Order: sequence, then structure tokens, then C-alpha cells
Amino acid sequence: MSKQTRRKSMDYIKKDYVRTRRMPGKWYLGSYTFKFNISHMTPFLEKLKQKKLVGNECRSCNRVFFPPRLVCGKCMVKPDRWVDLRDTAKVATFTIVYTKDPETGEVLEKPVVCIHQDGSDTTHIAQLEPRIDFKDAYIGMPLKVHWKDVTTGGLNDIEYYDVLEDDAKDIEVIKE
Amino acid sequence: MEKVGIVGYYQVQLQSEANYGRYEMIFEAVRGALDQAGLKKKEITTVISCTNDYYDGRTISNAFPVEVGGAYLTDESKVEMDGAHAVLYGLMRILSGNHKLAVIWGGSMASCYPYHSARLFETDPTWERPNALVNDITSAGFQMRAYMEKYGVSTEDIAKVAANNRKNAVKNPLSLKEARYPNLTTKEVLESDNYADPVTELMVSPFCDGVAALILAPEKQALKITDKPVWITGVGYNQDPYYLGDRDLSTSKSMELAGKVAFKAAGIKNPKDEIDVAELFEMYAHEELIFSEALGLVEKGQGANLNYEINGDLPINPSGGALGGNPPCATGLIRIIEAVKQLRGEANGYQVKDAKKAIASGQIGMCAQNNIIYVLEGGN
Amino acid sequence: MGRQVAVVSAGFSEHASKRSDVSMPELVNEAILDCLKNVPSVGIEDIDAFVNGNMPAFEGANIPELWMTDWMGARNKPLMRVTTGGTTGGSVAISGYYNVTAGIPGIDTVLAVAFEQQSIGDTSVGLASVAYGEISALNSLGIPYEELTRLLSGGAAIGIASYQATNYMRRSKITEEDLARVVVQNRHNAAKNWWTHLKMPDLTIEQVLDTPYISFPLRYGMVCPASDGACAMLFTTEEKAKDMCDIPVYVNGVASVSHETAVLGYNGSGAGQLDPSEQLGAMKSAELAFNQSGISFPRKEIDYAEVYAPFPNQELMWVERLGLFEENTASSMYESGVTALNGELPINCSGGVNSTNAIGASAMERPAEAALQIMGKAGNQVPKTVHTALGHGWGGVINLITMMVMSDEPARKFK
Repeated sequence: MSKQTRRKSMDYIKKDYVRTRRMPGKWYLGSYTFKFNISHMTPFLEKLKQKKLVGNECRSCNRVFFPPRLVCGKCMVKPDRWVDLRDTAKVATFTIVYTKDPETGEVLEKPVVCIHQDGSDTTHIAQLEPRIDFKDAYIGMPLKVHWKDVTTGGLNDIEYYDVLEDDAKDIEVIKE
Repeated sequence: MEKVGIVGYYQVQLQSEANYGRYEMIFEAVRGALDQAGLKKKEITTVISCTNDYYDGRTISNAFPVEVGGAYLTDESKVEMDGAHAVLYGLMRILSGNHKLAVIWGGSMASCYPYHSARLFETDPTWERPNALVNDITSAGFQMRAYMEKYGVSTEDIAKVAANNRKNAVKNPLSLKEARYPNLTTKEVLESDNYADPVTELMVSPFCDGVAALILAPEKQALKITDKPVWITGVGYNQDPYYLGDRDLSTSKSMELAGKVAFKAAGIKNPKDEIDVAELFEMYAHEELIFSEALGLVEKGQGANLNYEINGDLPINPSGGALGGNPPCATGLIRIIEAVKQLRGEANGYQVKDAKKAIASGQIGMCAQNNIIYVLEGGN
Repeated sequence: MGRQVAVVSAGFSEHASKRSDVSMPELVNEAILDCLKNVPSVGIEDIDAFVNGNMPAFEGANIPELWMTDWMGARNKPLMRVTTGGTTGGSVAISGYYNVTAGIPGIDTVLAVAFEQQSIGDTSVGLASVAYGEISALNSLGIPYEELTRLLSGGAAIGIASYQATNYMRRSKITEEDLARVVVQNRHNAAKNWWTHLKMPDLTIEQVLDTPYISFPLRYGMVCPASDGACAMLFTTEEKAKDMCDIPVYVNGVASVSHETAVLGYNGSGAGQLDPSEQLGAMKSAELAFNQSGISFPRKEIDYAEVYAPFPNQELMWVERLGLFEENTASSMYESGVTALNGELPINCSGGVNSTNAIGASAMERPAEAALQIMGKAGNQVPKTVHTALGHGWGGVINLITMMVMSDEPARKFK
């Protein structure tokens, strides 16, 4: 069994504390190389250049990923079937980021949205048409892709998303 | 301690400059281990991974590979030491009775970052780091010099260990190509570039890219999954004090204490006679001698007199050891995998005959501050 | 297989925004001494093994548990390190439990310690580097860097929480006043607890709502602080626990499950959850932990809960996802006082993460406070006797949920 040890109280220790010496320092670890494979993205990027959307599908759970994913985590297999997707989408979630302009000191509001592409099971970050007032944004808002004029085969070809007319009759929008 | 079985394993080919990313490597390792054991993803109940933030260049580096590591909606956790310590945590989870199958993976890519800078960040930032006199390079020199002076071991004896390990690495198809030297002589080892006197470049384990994975199961399930399970019968781990001046660098007290606990749990009274093969993680060639003495495989100071070659009395590191390739965070795990291969008779080209009991070790910290050792037994 | 584990003590260091009087090892030492103060029959030499954890990026020190060996009293003792980002404390506590229950020879009493000293380094840089690998993947696929940094300023933990907030507000139709009410309750509770950071006994809802927005719908007044601090817990077997303290707290259920990466996805492939407030990982984690401890109706059987909520909308979301309240009723429970100090199911009487957030330690402080409530020794003790309590942790990037369910009766009596 344990033996009794004489315990020093916290006060004894704390009273010896004068302000600890400071050691300022800046250490630079070095530059890092990130390595990643994008061979599974090549068909996706080619279709983007042609202004078409595709996602890849996992054979065992039938989930469609947009943008394409390397491994389906649920099944531990590589999805290898490609599926065409429509160019309509919905807002899955959004928030508004308040940034301070460093020169003018003005507080700017910028909406950031996560888009759920119709036909896929994932969400990705994108932006809305710049002229939309973010106060009208709500979850479930229907959108359509607005392509860039000259496509280069990168994710930037989707310039932004346009807002469509909402046909749903039972929607109730809560404004903050 | 109840028996826990290793039922599957996989190691990625070690490369010094892999041309694919870490997610592919991790997927290859975990999928390969599952396929070797014939298991499906949904049978996994827990996953333990081992990576290090500074070696991966980002915070919480173990967050994103959760899906590729097979841990989607699964109870999982992460360890930030050597791969062998991740196996320890997986072992604890199986022994608790809550889980039926554990997958353990670990590894990193050393070609992506400056290795020695990241090791420098382990040092004490108030005194040692601003001086940068004690770091992983100089501490190797301290340790070797202390060992040589205490027991009168010569540099040739230590160079012989390095030459032997690098010769063994030739037969191991998964070792690092640049680390293989089929006809290395002790003279060439001693005349290679100076690392930290008296350590020379060829005595140091080369860091590289690699990931490895292992699967554990309790006794009943292990016998159903495979007909050649390897049992973990003993484990011991221990940590020395941090400052180099507080330790006796010519021996490894933490390895001694860890070995005592592991051998007692496995019921081994005389390790020299009962152990058939040893896979020790030696960061530098002299550490192999220090560890074999600390574990009681040979008398103190007589490490060089043990016949550690592949057809000798007690083969040490027949796969080449860490001198054949050292992917940080995976090396300890690879040592366990190599010991498993020997016990299952699957080490083609470098098999030790009739191996029944083996030991495998891992380490982390400067001059092997924290050591862990496993005792493994093959056959039913 | 598997021995019954008991928590016999928990200790904290003082938390402040800048603990400039101690270095990292000394901070850990303070928490350990406070933990051992509650069990006078245990000395540091009686501890068989240690578990340590923190987030290494914030202090600029890699694997610091090697440096603080002597300050922890771990010279030539077994030691293990566990880090999982924001949930580090919870994972360390769970690892302490597994260390004891495994029954490895020689390991019966385990000390688990989690700490963070954020004032040493730069927290925002540390957090921003979480997604560097993924940002570079998206960059190489065509998205320019400036747009990414703007998009991802809504992607750090605060961004993930705001996505959860917008979806939760749509489901349950709560208002910002409900969020402010949760903040006020937490800060009032923190004022009565000795080790917390933000003690505001006179805070009102209007004061909270009067601050500017950080990112919709969260305001500056609702956000948690960045603190320095450490926490320690002592685990041991059932037999030894009876000699160490009057009311040993038995750990009956643990789980730590994550769903998919939130928002960004690995290699920029997007998040798999269509609704961030759905939280399948939390529901699975709660299911595993409650099954293990034999609890079928958490609403009735849990007497006290410590929920990890750096932002108030998360507190409302977690208490529903973990099964403590029905869907969309959490805000009315706060309004009617069910979750107050003398209510039926008190929540976060220690002040919660909203008042003190030392990132590495805060997920351990939740089970530690829950255990102290069962023992009757908490800083802000609830008046009724607590029999079963739970401590919960959340991590941002992958929504990893850690759960620890504790009770004063060992689990075999329930099954």
C-alpha cells in the first residue's frame, strides 16, 4: 500500500513564483511539400472544360460524390463509375463572414454557401451571384450554375451560382 | 494477460521519394491488410492511427485520413508516438472486451519536410533549443561515445552491425533501395561521411516514405479468421528522464525495465535461449548492441560478441532493421510486422529456420527515451 | 476480459488568458498536484502509468511529454501520448480508462493529463494550418488562393459551428435570444467555480446581443475565450478505488466516433453530410456509450450532463442529439429552468466550454467535472444527489464526438 508523503500546499509553491523569465523566439520549421494525386479528377476536369458536370459513384453504397472523391469511406473501395449531373443545385447551408478591410477599416459582409448539387450526396463550397443580397438567402434556395465564358478545365470554371425562381409553395422563410 | 492475435498485416514499399500522396498510401496499406486477412470494412470495430503533426506539416494531421483508414462511423482514436505504441493502444482496446477487431496503421512521408528541423522541435524550448547544441544529430554521437568508452567497444564492432543490417536489407523486397548494400565492408562504413563523430553516415538509419497496417483480434476471433495467428504474449513500455545528463547513455534503463515486464508476462525466464529472432528498432547501429545487452540477450559490454547474423545463434534484424528504411511513425510497426512474417514462415528469402518466439521493439525520443517491446509467439 | 474502472480524483490548474507565471511543465504539475490533493493516501510513486495529451501546434513543441517527464513524476514509468485535436482531453480520458481495464500486468493506477498553453504561440495560425493540404489541392485544381482564404475563413471551427447554427435554427426555429440565454446561464455558472476563465455574474441577454457579428448568427459576446490551463484525472481498479476515496465514480461507457470531414473534405472533395446539424457521429457515439453502460432512457436515467459547446447553438444541438431532450425542445428547456443549477437535469454547471477553453484540456474537463459532481466535490455543486452523469467532447474538423458515461454503481449491476 502507499505510504503517506508530506504534501506541500499550493501556497508554498506559488509564493516562490516571481514572474517567470520570458524566452521570445521565432522558429522556422522549413518549407513543406504537399503531395496528392489528382488522377481520379481528370475525367471530371475534362468535362468541366466542356461545361458539363459529372460525379463519381460508389458501386456498393450508390452514393454520388461531387467533386470526385478518392475513396468511399463507408465501403473502403474506390468509386469508379461516372454519372452525369444536372446543373441545378440547392443551398445546403450558409453563413456570413464579417471581415475588416485593412485599409479602410470598414466591416464587409460576404456570404459563404455550401452547395448541394442535384443528383449528388455531398456538399461543396461555392459562391452566389455577387448581386444577390445575402439577406435573401435561405436553406433550400434553388440555384443554377453560371459558367465562365472561357473554360480552362479547373474548378474555377464554375464562376458562381445564379438564383432561380422557387416553385415550392409550402416554404416559410424566417428572416433575421 | 490474455492472448491477442495478429491476423493480418501489410507494408507499403518504402521509397525515398514517393510519387503519390499520403491518402493513397494509407488506403493501400489498410485495404491490403484487410484483403490479406479476408475481412470486410464493416467487421472493423476500432481503428488506431499514428501520425505526427510536425512530420505532416499541418495541425491535427490525423483528422483527414479518418475515412481512408477505415474509420467511418467507427470508434477510433489516435496516438502520436511510434507505430508500436499505437499497437499498444489497440491491444488495450481488445483486452477490454469492448471490441472484436482492431486496425492499426501509421506512417508519414519524410520526403515532404526537413526531417532534422522537425526533430529539433522536440527539444526543450527554454534552454536546449536556442543553443541547438543538443539535437538528434549530436545526441547520437554522445550515445555512441559513452557506450564505446564504458565497455571498450571499438568502432569496427559497431560498423560490423551496420554492414550486416544493410546486407540483410538486400533480401527484403520492401526495404529502401538506397539502403541496400550487398557487399559492404566495415572499412567502407567507417570511411563514409561524418555524421556526428564517431557516428558515420552509413551507421544512421535513412528516413523515407512509408505506411504500414496491422490487424488485431481476440483469441476466439483470431482462430476463426486465420489458421496462422501470431499471439502477443507480453508487452512492456517505459520512459527515461528527458535531459541527457540524467541518464546513463551507455545502457538503456527504460529498455531494461520494459523488457523485464514483457518477459515476465510472457513467462520467459531466459531470453537468450528462448527467443529465436529479434527485430529491434535501432536508429543508429550502436543502439542495436545497447538494446541487446539491456534485454539480457547477452552480458553487458559483450553485445558485439553475440552472433546476430541471420544464421547465427540469435538473429537480430534479419529484415535489415531500421537501417534498411525508417519511415517516421511507422518503423516500430514494421518491426512487429517483420517478426510476424518470421513466425508465420512468410519471410521469403530471409527466413530464420524454426522461429517460434520473437521480440519486436519500437522507440521514440532522443537517444531512445521511450521504449516499448513485445514478445510474440507463433503457432497455435 | 476487462476490469471495472473507477475515477477517484480530478484536478485542475488555474485557467487564465495568459498564465505567464508558469511554463508548460509547471502548468501540468499544478494540475497533477491539485488532483492528488483529493486522495491523500496516494503518492506520486503509486502511479503505475501515465497518459498525456495536448495539441502540439499551438506551443511550437513537438511531443512535449518527453520534456515534462520529471514534472509529471513519470521517470522510468510507462507513458503514452494521445492527441486528437480539439477532443484531445476526451481521448486522453478514454485512453486512461482503457489503460486500466486492459489488465496489462503492473498497470492498475493511471494518471491522465491534458493541457494547453495557447498564449505561447499563435492560435489562429495554428488553427488555419489544419486544412493546408486540402487548400493546396483545391488551389492546384484552379481555385485562386485569395478566394480560398475568403471562403475558408468560414471554414475553421467557428465556420463549422456557424453552418451548424444556420441549419439548426431552420429546424427548430429558435431566435438569437435563445442563444444569448444559454451564454448567460453558462457565464453565471462559471462565476461560482474556482478554476474558470470568464467569470461574469452580472451578464444580461441584452449585453450579449449588443456585440457585433463574427459570422452569422454568432456574435462576439457568444464566443468562447482562449485560455491556458491543464486538467488531470486519476483512474484505478474497483478494488483499489474503495481504499482511496469515499465515493468512487465508475466509468461504464466510452465511445469516440466521427462521421465525415466537415465542410472541406479530404483533397477538397466536399463534405458528405447534407445537413451539418444532423450529426450521425454523435448519435452513434451516444448509442455505443449508453449500450455499454446499460442505459436505455437517457432522459430519465442521466442526472447531470457536461456538454462541450464553445458556441451556444451547439449546446442546444448536442443535448438533443445525445438523447437528453426531444427534437427541437432544447431551447424551451433552457427557458423554463430545467437545465439550471436546481433543475431536473442540470447542464454545464461548471461554466462549460463557453467560459473556459484551453483547447487541449477542455474535452477532459467535461468528464472531470461530471465525476466531481457525482463525488460531491465540484466547485459549483448541484444540490441534488447525482448518480449518473456524462461528459462529452466535440472536435471541429471531423465532428469527432467523445463520450464518457459515469455512475456511482458499476455497470454489471445494470446489465
